[in-house]
This record gives sequence, C-alpha cells and structure tokens, in this order.
Amino acid sequence: MRKLHQMGVSLLLGGLVTGVASAQSFRVQCPTTTPLHSTAATPAVPNPVGGSIKCQQISGGDGLATMGDGTQTYIFSFGPLSGLNDIASGLPGTEPAKVFNTPFDPGAAAGTFASNGAVGLTTDPEVSSDPLCQPTNLNPHPDYCTTGLTGHVDPRQIMDVGVMNGNIPAPMMAIDEDDEFFLTLTNVGMIMRPDLFEQHTVHFHGYPNASSFYDGVPDASVAINIGGSFTYYYLAPDAGTYFWHCHITPPEHLQMGMVGQLYVRPRQNRVSGISLYDGLQAQQVDLRTKCGTDILCSSPLPPVNSVPHALNKSGSPTLYAYNDGDGSTAYDVEYPIQIHGFDPSFHFVGMTFNPEQFVDMKDKYFLLNGRSYPDTVKTDTYVDVGASTGNSAFVGQPRVSNAIYTQDVDGVARPSQPLPTVINIPVGGKALLRISDLDVTEYQTLASLGIPMHVIGVNARLLRDLAGNNLAYDSNSVTLAGGESIDVILDATDPKYIAGNTYYLYTPNLDHLSNDAENFGGLMTEVHICNSVDAVKACH
Amino acid sequence: MSQMNTKTRIVIARLIPVMMAAVALLVGTPAHAAVPGITGLSPTPTFTLSAEANFISQPDGSMVYSWGYGCLVTPSGFAPAAISGASCSSMQIPGPTLIVQVGDSVSVTLTNHLPAAAGNTSILFPGFQVTTSGGSAGLLTQEATHGGSVTYTFTATTPGTRAYYSGTQGDLQVEMGLYGAIVVIPASTPAGCRAAGGTLPDGQTDFRLAGAAYDHPATCYDREYLFQFSEMDPKIHQQAEAIANCASGPGITCPNSMNTVATENYHPAYYMINGRSMPDDMDPNYAAEYPHQPYNGNPHMHPGELVLLRIIGQGRWQHPFHEHGNHVRILARDGNLIVSSTDPSKLAGPLLFTTTTTPGLAMDGIFYWTGKGLNWDVYGHGYPGDPSVCIPDANGYYTTDPLAPNYYEWCADHNKALEKAPFGQVASGGPVTLPDANILTNGAWYGGSPYLGPDATIRATGPTGTTPPSGTVANPPGSEAGFAFMWHSHNEREITTNNIFPGGMLMMMLVDPQAFPIDESF
Repeated sequence: MRKLHQMGVSLLLGGLVTGVASAQSFRVQCPTTTPLHSTAATPAVPNPVGGSIKCQQISGGDGLATMGDGTQTYIFSFGPLSGLNDIASGLPGTEPAKVFNTPFDPGAAAGTFASNGAVGLTTDPEVSSDPLCQPTNLNPHPDYCTTGLTGHVDPRQIMDVGVMNGNIPAPMMAIDEDDEFFLTLTNVGMIMRPDLFEQHTVHFHGYPNASSFYDGVPDASVAINIGGSFTYYYLAPDAGTYFWHCHITPPEHLQMGMVGQLYVRPRQNRVSGISLYDGLQAQQVDLRTKCGTDILCSSPLPPVNSVPHALNKSGSPTLYAYNDGDGSTAYDVEYPIQIHGFDPSFHFVGMTFNPEQFVDMKDKYFLLNGRSYPDTVKTDTYVDVGASTGNSAFVGQPRVSNAIYTQDVDGVARPSQPLPTVINIPVGGKALLRISDLDVTEYQTLASLGIPMHVIGVNARLLRDLAGNNLAYDSNSVTLAGGESIDVILDATDPKYIAGNTYYLYTPNLDHLSNDAENFGGLMTEVHICNSVDAVKACH
Repeated sequence: MSQMNTKTRIVIARLIPVMMAAVALLVGTPAHAAVPGITGLSPTPTFTLSAEANFISQPDGSMVYSWGYGCLVTPSGFAPAAISGASCSSMQIPGPTLIVQVGDSVSVTLTNHLPAAAGNTSILFPGFQVTTSGGSAGLLTQEATHGGSVTYTFTATTPGTRAYYSGTQGDLQVEMGLYGAIVVIPASTPAGCRAAGGTLPDGQTDFRLAGAAYDHPATCYDREYLFQFSEMDPKIHQQAEAIANCASGPGITCPNSMNTVATENYHPAYYMINGRSMPDDMDPNYAAEYPHQPYNGNPHMHPGELVLLRIIGQGRWQHPFHEHGNHVRILARDGNLIVSSTDPSKLAGPLLFTTTTTPGLAMDGIFYWTGKGLNWDVYGHGYPGDPSVCIPDANGYYTTDPLAPNYYEWCADHNKALEKAPFGQVASGGPVTLPDANILTNGAWYGGSPYLGPDATIRATGPTGTTPPSGTVANPPGSEAGFAFMWHSHNEREITTNNIFPGGMLMMMLVDPQAFPIDESF
C-alpha cells in the first residue's frame, strides 16, 4: 500500500500539470435565461411555460469506495462538481441556475447557494471584450456582462476537487417536466490509471426521442477527452424514473462504477386549484403533452374523477410519481434506489495495468446505492476534522456529510458513497421507491418483507393501458436486469404498520446476501415506520 | 473501438479479426435488415427442413461447431420479395424463418442429418396444435431418428411472432443452434393500415411482410425487424464436436450419445443476435461470409415510421435488450395481442425502454422516432433565407408532403435554434454553445454534427471553412448523416465476443433523414 500511496501522489502531481496545460477546454454552461425560459423564474413568479433552468456539473474520473466488508475498491467514477452540499445530504445535485451560478465555496454554510454552486466558476477575464457586452450592442446585455460569470472556470479548483472524487452511485440528478437541464461533464482523467486516456460520456437512459448527439453513445456521437468539458442539453422528458451512466466500453465503465440516478418529476405536482384529472386534461391542449392517438402515449386519461391536489403527511402539496390524473401515484417520501454489483477481481485488475476479462466477470459485492448491508443503513454524520488544518479546503468538500468516506491513495479521505438506503416512512404514509438497476452481469431481485410492493411504473412509464385502466399490481418482489427501472410504492397506510416497526428489503437471490467472502450483507436494507420524516428523510 | 490504450494492447492480437470485420463493414455500403424468411404455397405450405452440423463464424475469428435447421430442398419462395439474393442453406442459425398466412395448414418435414451420436431430434411449435406423422416417439413430440424424418402439421390459427426449437435434449440441442422463428401474417389488412407491397408513401420500397402485425388497426407498421437472442458456451460445442468426430479403433471406444457433454456450469462466451455477434450482425442478410448465418440485425428507419420489432429469446438466459432512442409499446407476447380489458380497441401492453428477452418467449412491439420534445430543430432550420416549411397535422407533425426532406418533423420545434452563437448556416440564438471539436473524439457512426441529415450537417459545419469530420464512415456526414442509436443487451458483459469489446449483442440502429433511401435489399 505504501508504494501505491507514493505512486498515487506522484501521479496526482502529474495530473495537475496536465490539467492546467489543457485548462482552456474546461467550462460550464448554465444560462440564466433561454428562449424557452425567457425570464429568470422565482418561486413567487414561476415561468409561464412551467419548469425552469436547472444545471449540474460532474467530474468523470476515478476514486476509491468502501465495501461492506471494509475493503477499499478502485472505481472509475463520476463525482460532484456542483450541488456538493445537497449530495452530501443524500439529495440530488441538480440546482436552479441561480444556485449553480454562485461559485462554490467549501467554507460556505450548509444550504447557502455557495455551498451548492459550481466548482471552479469564476469571473471571465475576457468578459469585457465579449461582443454582447459592448455599448454598441443595443439589445439587453446578458447577465454575465455584469457578473462576469460566462461559464469560465478556474481549472485548478476543478482538479483540486474533481480528481479522485468519484462517487458510487454517481451524482444524483432530478428535474421537473418542462425544465431545461444543462449538464456539464468535465473529464478530469483517471489519476490511478495514467496509462488510460479514457473519454467519458453521459447516457440519459430512456430519454424519449433522444438526439444521438446528446445520447452519450461514443460510437454514435462525440466522447469527451481528458481535460475537456461538454455540456449536455435536455428538455426534461416525460416524468419517470430514469438513470444515467457512461457509455464508453460499457461492460468496463459500468462494472467499474460509472452509474447514477436520474428522475423526472411530473407536471402534476404543479396542479393547483383544479382536480388532478382536470390537470391532466389540460395537458391534452398542448400537442407536446397530448396523448391523442400516439401509440407511445405515456399518460392516458384515467376514468373521470375529482381527486384534488391535497396535502401530504408533512403538510406540503402531495408529490406524484407520474401524471396519473387520479392521485394513484401519490407518495409522502421518495427513495431512489440503484441496484448494482461489483466484481472485486475485475476492479483489482482494473486498478492494475492489465486487460480485464469479461467472460469470467462475477459480481461478489451486491450494492444498493453503492453500499452493501450493513452500510446501507449507516446514517452517521461525518464531520471533517481536517477542516481546521486546511484539509477540507484542499479537498473542497462539505465539512458535514452523511457520506461514507474512503481514504484515497494520496492520504486524503473523500466522500465516496453519499447515499444510505434507509427507508423511513411516516406512519400511515407511502414511500415511493425509484428502483433502477445497472448491474452488468445478471438479473437481481429485491423483495419486501412485511410491506407489499405496489408496482406503479416500469421503465419510467406509468402502468396504465391506453383505455386508461390502472394496471398497477401488488407484489412482494421485483426483478430487474441492468438497464431497467421500476417504481414501487410501499404503502404503510394500514394502521397495522405502527411507528417503531422495522421491516426489510432484501434479495431472495440468497447468494447475493454476501459481501465477497462475508456470508452476511449484500443487497439488503431496512424500512422504518416513523412518527414523522423530515426534509433530509431522518426518522423521528 | 472507442479506445486504444495500454490496457487493450495485449488483446490487440485477438482484436484483429474484429477490426478487420469492422473495416469490411465500414468500407461497404451500410446493410439493412427487414424480416427475411422462407414461404410455402398458401393455404398448405410445406417446408422440408434438415437438422445438421456445420460451423458458424464469430468475429474473433473462431468457427464454432454448431447444429442448425436448414432447407433440405429449396423452399417454394422467399419473403420479402424485394430482398434479392435470398438463399436457405441446409444448415443455418437461426433456422429458416417460416413465413405463413393465418389459416394455413403448415406442414414441416424434418430430416435428421445430425451426427449419429446426437441421437434423435425434433421441432416444437409452441402456440400451435401440432399433429405428427412418422418418426419415433419422444418425450415431448415425435422425433426424427438419425437419418430418418418426421412431419409436423398444424394450422396457423392466429397471427404473430413465435419461436420454434428442438424438443429433444434441449439443453444441448438448442444450445447447439436448433431454433428458429415463425411469423404468421394476418388474413387481411385492418382498416386504416396500408397493405404490404409496392411502395411506402414517400415512394421508397416497402419491405414489409404485412400491413399489420395483428388483426387490429393499432398494430399497423411501416417497417419491421426480427431479433433472435441466444448465447453459446464454446466448451459445450467443443465437446459435442469431439464426440461427433470420434473414430473408434483399437483401444478407443466412442460414446454412442451426447449425454456426456457437460451442459451445466454454463459459461457462455458468445452472445448473438440472429446467430451473429457484432459487428457481423450489421453485415447484409445472406452475406457470403456467413453461409450458415444468413440473417442480420441492422435496423434503419425514417422519422415517424412505425417500426415493428419481433423479439425472441432463443437461448437459456434472459437478456435485457435496450433500445436507445425511444420506448417500445409491447403489442403481444407469443402471438397473443394484449388489449385493454374494458376497450379491446385499445392496446394494453407496457411501454418499455428495455425489452427483456426470455427463453422461449416471443414478443412484438412498436417503436418510432420523431425527435418530438427536444426543444431544438434537428434539421437546423431557421437561418436567414431558409425556405423550409412545417405545417403541423393534428398530432403536430409535418406530414403533408411525404417527399419533403423534413417529412414528419415535429413542427413545434421548427426553426428553434440549438446553438447560441451564429455558426454556419443554421439558426442561432439557442441555449447552448458547442464545444471545441478538438476536445472530443468522434464515433464511427457520428453523423458529423448535432443535426440530422447531410443538408443540415453541411450547413452547420461547412460554410465557415470547417468541414464535417472525417472518420465517421459508418454514417457518412455528406450522404447519410443519420442519428445512430445503440441497441444492445444492457447486461453489458454481453456486448463482448469471447472477452473482446465491442462485440456480442450489439447493433447500431439508424434513424436516417427522409432524403436517404433505406434499401433493405442488401
């Protein structure tokens, strides 16, 4: 390990030099206005077309993660370069333009814009020569003429934070229907594997009517070289549980950990003053959201009803998984759960300079959100004690985090697995499980002990026939391959589910209830019935 | 393919066959697919099949000993008629696709030309009421003994896609390649669908077998493809070959059956669609390089075309087939149309972006691509002097002129710019700034710009002095410039060929610009 450590440090320095040399190609994009969202929306004055501009920046690189048996495992991975505080709290790292465009400050108080802003964002020294900022431009000047924030970044900060900051799962993304989403991938290189000059991409899995340019398949589009940034642009598609991953050499990059979560919240969350049915009926006016005779229609109208947009258990307007028009996908609290598997032999070979074998790939760590049981239920708060010595400023991570930290080969501990999978349900409430699977070798089953699984959606689509009949069903298990997603509601409204009770989600693939050689662990987590569940999903 | 670095150097030697195959693919004209198969004389089509051994080609250069069904005598016809050069060898994988009409009394005579040690063989036709004549009694059906024959007769009662496969020692015989597909064509074209044959509305050739997948107007389609998924464990094939080739002599006693072949500890290394691994699956149907693997997997479509996917699991594993580009509406399972319980005029199958193939299961689904909802004009319209028009129909698409280059454009995004700054001859004032091309690596199927079609691609890249990138030879920016999407198994290990990436269950689907003719005949 000592040799590896020394090698890592020297590689780190080499990487920094390389990064600076190719600095000009790092940049972010997050306009405050666009032709679709022509005014900077505020909560008080929402944009008339709905949605808003959301942005996120991620690094593509590598890192280490901690397995359930304590093993440190090498991963190819994406890490957060925006929304760092939210991700440390187990939330999506997708931010409104206003937050993203506040340069990240690792010392900023949790929850402030600066705690979630874009890493590296800084004033552009050349903004004064921008043609649109000249007095000769008689049109309104873009905001960046005064702020200087054109998307120009300081590459040193990007490298300081981005190198070795890989997460498993990759930074979570969440957008609302009608949002425009600007996603910047910055390839910081894989410092543990300087022999590789791997490109990376983002494949938004399931995006309907995708353009191949932004589909992230390197063969069909462009791939992003080390030292470069690429901004993907999406208009949020139909609501549902999607996911994302790198599409370079998928059997390798996915096995190695370049997988993340992504979901789209429905327009129905914004219905106000009319019934949910009328809200869905109103969507038939716009051809983009109209069902009509479209054979791929995602939200057929249900039977006529007058279900209102009521308040949920915490007193805020109820959220829905889909545009159901009848409230059938209502939930009180949501949990993205990503199933994955790691083959420790493949990861070991992946850390060395040898070619990996695919035929013999055999997963031995079975992961929910990048963790195996008992780590899946670990919710300890990590306080960075190195902050006072300057360590935190170097790593540039939030001081307080729910993540599992893993010590990297340069001796610095970085957050590696930000997301526990404790399912806390307020008593009498419903939890939405957004389950996706990115295993690359085999099918996995997740079962519920105690609370039935009410399956409401598959592959980011509501289970409903084109005549409007609800096809949701109850089950005690769901089975997914890599590349699938399923939405499940754990319905604890029956009074028999009382606060303090604990139930389990686990895999009946019993050999997956293990952490490599440890015969206990794997694909398993706990479900708690709570008196209440707060904004960061803690049980009270 | 997408990378070349230290890690891969060691496997370069093994990659050479793949790369050569890829080059062969890339320099040739892109091949297409349709649903080719053999036909008989309705209403009593007869097929005379053989089961025999031969070698199939894999892109790592290996020739794998296999068993397959083939045509013992030339069939009375091939479909679709627009595909020329069709053939049916006496052994092929998958077996010949049997194309029949609803109501046909189908007769299939199978002769067992497998090695003697293979013992009997047979065919099961799940979903049909089969009567048999000849052969000897087997566990599941009448079987053809070594050198002998058996005849299966059934009425093709309902339309749809189904599998057929060996009903004898299936763990070995199906693994060895004894499987195929049967497609039953509806008796008539439902109201609102166009009958097959002739030309599509845009004047291009119609390669369909039928006007609809089922006797239901919601199952109309414009184009169709068949995908049969299977995997192979080469050790099983080697053991079977050793027994088949065993010569008795002094001190050598040959096994008189294949019972000693270890079909457990199953460990596949080859993952195939229609009997071929990528990139071979994107070579033409009936390509001379694959005399025993005639069918390809290489879908092409124009925007707005309803594309029927006929998907069958033929191996022993499930494979999550992920269709990039859009969702698939599942129409039917094993030939059973799924309709709403309250309104049979409405479909009730799920919308899936990953269509799991399951052993023995066939499903039909409809896919299309239009670019709807991207919020930018994929044709790069909206520049000064642009003469294009987009007049929305009731669903918002431009369908007035089937010959227009933007036929089926999503009109709400017409003229909407993608790029912020003016560049080339496309609309500007949009939301994004494209990166410097020097920090990117282009894929072989990259159309050369974010836009669809050579017209837009050249306008977006040409007039400022840059030209469309080179190296994107599988989808040339100057002639095709389609939108390429990867269709593949999402258990990503399966997009390899015996440890080599890329390979296995992977193909590129091309959404071609309307102006690019899709000729499935080669």
